[in-house]
Amino acid sequence: MPARLLAAFAAAVLAGGVGAAQAAAVAVLVTDAGGEPLNDAVVTLEPAAGKVPVKPMAGVEIAQHHLAFDPAVTVVTVGTPVAFPNQDTVRHHVYSFSPAKTFQLKLYAGKPHDPVVFDKAGVAVLGCNIHDQMLAWVVVVDTPWFARSAAGGRARLDAVPPGAYQLRVWHPSLPEGVAPPAVPVTVGAADLEQRVKLPGAAK
Amino acid sequence: MRRSLRFWRRSIGARIIVLFLGLLLVVQLASFAALRARFAEHARQALPTRLVEGERLLQNLLDRNAQRVTDGARLLAADYGFREALASNDGETIVSVLANHGARIGATEVALLSTDFKLRSTTAPHPADLAAVAGQLAVPAADAGRASTIALLAGRPYQSVLVPVKAPLVVGWVLMAFPLDAQLVGDMRNLSGIDLTVLSRTRTDRPWNVALTSLEGARAASLARDGWAGGTPAAGLTTAAALGEELGVRAIALGGARDGAEVLALVSLSVDDAVRLPADLQLALVAINLVAIVVFALGSVVTARRVTTPLRGLADAAERLGAGDYETPMQGQQRDDELGELSQSFERMRISIAENQEQILRLAYWDSLTGLPNRARFRDAVHEAIAKAGEGRTVALLMLNLDRFKHVNDVLGMRIGDKALMAIADRLTRAVARDGGLVARLSGDEFGILLRDGDVSSALSVARSVEQAMDAPLTLEDHHVDVGAGIGIACWPVHADSADALLVRTEMALVAAKRRTDGPLVYDPAIDVTSAQTLTLMTELRHAIDRHELRLYLQPKLALDDRRVLGAEALVRWQHPERGLVPPYQFIPFAEQTGFIRTLTQWVFEEAARHWQALAEEGLALQLSVNLSTRDLLDVELPQKFAALLARHHVPANAFCLEITESAVMDDPQRALVTLDALSAMGFKLSIDDFGTGYSSLSYLKRLPVDELKIDQSFVRNMHADPDDAMIVRSTIDLAHNLGILVVAEGVETATAWTMLRELRCDHAQGFHMGRPMPVADFIAWTVAWGVHPQGVEFDAARTLH
Repeated sequence: MPARLLAAFAAAVLAGGVGAAQAAAVAVLVTDAGGEPLNDAVVTLEPAAGKVPVKPMAGVEIAQHHLAFDPAVTVVTVGTPVAFPNQDTVRHHVYSFSPAKTFQLKLYAGKPHDPVVFDKAGVAVLGCNIHDQMLAWVVVVDTPWFARSAAGGRARLDAVPPGAYQLRVWHPSLPEGVAPPAVPVTVGAADLEQRVKLPGAAK
Repeated sequence: MRRSLRFWRRSIGARIIVLFLGLLLVVQLASFAALRARFAEHARQALPTRLVEGERLLQNLLDRNAQRVTDGARLLAADYGFREALASNDGETIVSVLANHGARIGATEVALLSTDFKLRSTTAPHPADLAAVAGQLAVPAADAGRASTIALLAGRPYQSVLVPVKAPLVVGWVLMAFPLDAQLVGDMRNLSGIDLTVLSRTRTDRPWNVALTSLEGARAASLARDGWAGGTPAAGLTTAAALGEELGVRAIALGGARDGAEVLALVSLSVDDAVRLPADLQLALVAINLVAIVVFALGSVVTARRVTTPLRGLADAAERLGAGDYETPMQGQQRDDELGELSQSFERMRISIAENQEQILRLAYWDSLTGLPNRARFRDAVHEAIAKAGEGRTVALLMLNLDRFKHVNDVLGMRIGDKALMAIADRLTRAVARDGGLVARLSGDEFGILLRDGDVSSALSVARSVEQAMDAPLTLEDHHVDVGAGIGIACWPVHADSADALLVRTEMALVAAKRRTDGPLVYDPAIDVTSAQTLTLMTELRHAIDRHELRLYLQPKLALDDRRVLGAEALVRWQHPERGLVPPYQFIPFAEQTGFIRTLTQWVFEEAARHWQALAEEGLALQLSVNLSTRDLLDVELPQKFAALLARHHVPANAFCLEITESAVMDDPQRALVTLDALSAMGFKLSIDDFGTGYSSLSYLKRLPVDELKIDQSFVRNMHADPDDAMIVRSTIDLAHNLGILVVAEGVETATAWTMLRELRCDHAQGFHMGRPMPVADFIAWTVAWGVHPQGVEFDAARTLH
């Protein structure tokens, strides 16, 4: 968690560096079709003008703890290496057949030698070949503005320079292979408040 | 049949056994029938439940089957390599993995479906059918994450399952199908005994097709011909007839209908089998019943024995009682039951009968007065003695009759008489004790003595002992009673060849002895009218008169005072052509017994009359005495006969003296008196012969028209030695003279006697001393020799019938 804060801070510094005082924050409330707030929803803003280069994040870990992935949903920028420390006493066999990143970490305990570098944007679904119920998602984004909704369905994207963006919201409950809906938003000087309802998602 | 019926009627034991076993059989049959009926009812009631259980089992088996298939499919779906191949969309690998995993778990149809349940790849030869099944399972699988059903593939029922392939999210579905096989119906049959038939049809309007069955094919086919529209209600029971057998059936629809294709499971039980008692139970029942029959049979035999053995014992005991064995005690008295009581009753009865019998025997065989055996017992004893007498042994019998006992009874009374009998019995018993003789009282004053090993000489010895025992007079309550007895003797086998004959002949000897009054008499055929010798004698005697074999003998009768010959006693002698002179005692007694004596009397009288004339012509006017027997006295025509005889010979009646024995008069005094009065009136002199041997009372004698008494020679003979006899002679003479009766002494054999008699003033004498009985010619000669001629004897001519 401190690493993520650090990353967000770094992004803000970066954005501030670019847009100075004009940058604004975008708060998004994600709900399901019934209006219930959804946590672990990944919200991204993609500049309508074109992609902005992103820097790989550092120190990202998806731990295996109590026969579960922690966290279940991780958002990383393209090229970010993710470590998979095994904190359980049993071994795990983490794999992904997703096109975004196909890999497997065969039966290991503790921390594997090399982190897995997610070098392609997309969603990688992670499983454990031994424990079927273990499930994690790594959302690899190629935009610097992204956030993950906390409990209460709220996500906040800070230091978003003004401009036109495509607001996309992804949630694990969305059917696989379905592209998350894109909402065009325009960020001005003021903070922006946005509500997104995901029809195909469920809590 | 008849024999067995008789056995049945006669044997309580058989009846008990048959009854026991019969009742047991009835109970067994009843319980068997009840058991069977109850079992059948129960089985029939339980049939729906059993079928429901069968259905449950089927579901269970199908579920397990589905689970197995599901597990297999899951294994495939979870296979990392498979998922990798799937992720890499490697078609050939996918097919090979499907084939490989299908083969591993025996699934013939395996397919991979896309997430929208479209067939992606398959090993199955019928992809169209499989796709249809996939379509059927899609919705439930999407809902539940898996699904299974029984579906028709190529017309055959398959257990089909659909499981997701997760990587790790659902990326596709694996469909696997296993054909329902004989294993299922086999398991069904083995686990529950319930038959399973799986029917299928591809369309509702098609006939059912038998896919699987544990029934016989033909029966299943018959079952398939029924409609089977839909299943059976939960608790219901459908019965169906299949080839004549009633089946209880539940129909269960398997799998969802698709395009009218249906799979139907029929669980069935044979009603007949269900209600039939299981073979092992029947065997057990039969075994139990057989054991029960054996146990009952043994038990009833023992019981019957326990009843019939004592009964048979009682019957035997009753037989023994009937046969006269009163000595053997009853068996089984110690029993506590009714039979014991019966035995005890029998025992009491036996004792009572034995006592009664003893009493009867005592009465029957023992004389109650003297305690001696009676005639019957004596007779038996004689029989026994003869039966037991061995070779060369003899049996001797004595009978004695008390003299004058009637007189004792009359004069002294019955009480004294009884005492006298007891005393005599006692004396007899003691007298013969030494010889081991058996004394019995045969009748009032008659006793018998049996000498088991006796002969004539020992019998005579016993007779002497008896006479000695009788010598001393009895003293009874101040009365002195003289006793004497006539004794008859006979021996077996010399005198008789049988017991009865021996008894009869001993009695004959007794009668003869009594008559002779000359001591014990041994049987002689001569005294026996029934003996062959006597019979011959009788015949000869009859002829003797015609053949002039009889001779008249005369014994002189003299006056004691002057030795004059007064007369003679006319006696008969028989000059037998072969035997010579037959002594009178050999033919007179039976002549008396047979009545021939009357002929003899006539003959003697006739001869006497004839000779009287002859003697008279010789100058001997003598009075002739003729003996009359009892029979003569009883002959009412006697006076007429005598009168005719006197007339015929022209002799006077008073030329004859008729001698009658005392006993002859006493036999029937009334009639005797009539005859005697008549004879006396005719002019005959009358004389009482053998006076002193009878029991005539003097008062009675006085009433008789008697002219003369003849003292019995036994007194005269012993007179000189025995003062008693002398006394009797003297008293008799005095008495007779007082009554105006002349006295004649018989048996004068010595000069002493002659002198004594003369001193006693006896009138006449007769005896060997003077002259024996002799033929008439000799008599005449003797008279001449005697020298003292009869003189002055005048016979009343007026009373003769000239």
